[in-house]
Amino acid sequence: MRSRSAATLLLGLGLSNVYSMEGGIKAWKGMVAHGQPKSGMAYFMPAAGAEEIVGLAWSLEEGSKLFYQGLSAQFNKDREAQEMFEWLISAEKNHEKNLLQSYEDLTGKQPDFTKLRAKFGDSLSGAIMEGGIAVKEALTWLKDKGVPDSLELAMSMEVNAFDLYIKMSRAIEDEQARHVFAKLSAEEQVHLKKLAALLEKKF
Amino acid sequence: MAINAAFLITLRSEDNMGLMDYFKPVPTMTAEEVRQFFTDKKPDAYNLVDVRQPGEYERYHIPGANLIPMAELRDRIDEIDPAKPTITY
Repeated sequence: MRSRSAATLLLGLGLSNVYSMEGGIKAWKGMVAHGQPKSGMAYFMPAAGAEEIVGLAWSLEEGSKLFYQGLSAQFNKDREAQEMFEWLISAEKNHEKNLLQSYEDLTGKQPDFTKLRAKFGDSLSGAIMEGGIAVKEALTWLKDKGVPDSLELAMSMEVNAFDLYIKMSRAIEDEQARHVFAKLSAEEQVHLKKLAALLEKKF
Repeated sequence: MAINAAFLITLRSEDNMGLMDYFKPVPTMTAEEVRQFFTDKKPDAYNLVDVRQPGEYERYHIPGANLIPMAELRDRIDEIDPAKPTITY
């Protein structure tokens, strides 16, 4: 099995504290992410200014917020689902608030929203939506689907965002920006737990 | 974390690895132990390395895993921080 060989190799090369996970990814019971290693990160060069990075993250959160607003409007007859989406919308707004605060702390000024939206706009939505779908396409696809499908898609989106934020919190050189992403990834985990709980109920 | 009495046997010899190195047990963790391990740790407190191929990684991977295909491990070892615990899958 590859992982055991890999662990042996690393130990042989002088690394200590190396463990191979038994059973490989098939044994993993949690959520899994999709996409290439640098997916979404192409926009986030490690040495990019913290200002640019925070601006980009803000755009991603904006996309998620729009997605949940669309879902809340669509499933307005399902009270539980609506409460979930409204909760997520306020969570995203909170993320945006923190990101804007970080932006101001780093640069001493407020970002130009029009510029942000124009610069990063819809193309970034593909970075966190499953299979590269933009927010608009996802909402169109969900028009004739039920709540469980929308929760599943929301979870795919959140886990890919989680994946991206973890990697970014490691790769970014600026310590403040790194801290921001560590926090975001921790919060994504909370979103995932809540979505999973509701999905289980609905199924 | 259990140290499995599972021995690796291979006929190729690698660098400075003596033949006896292949008979050392490999420390392992169950998937559940790995999940517990992440739960209370910051993302930059450990190395999580997916050693499969890019196509496999793209289809699905554990969130936060970095991809270093098996054959590239030796050349890319500097991507793994030796000061932190490393989990491979």
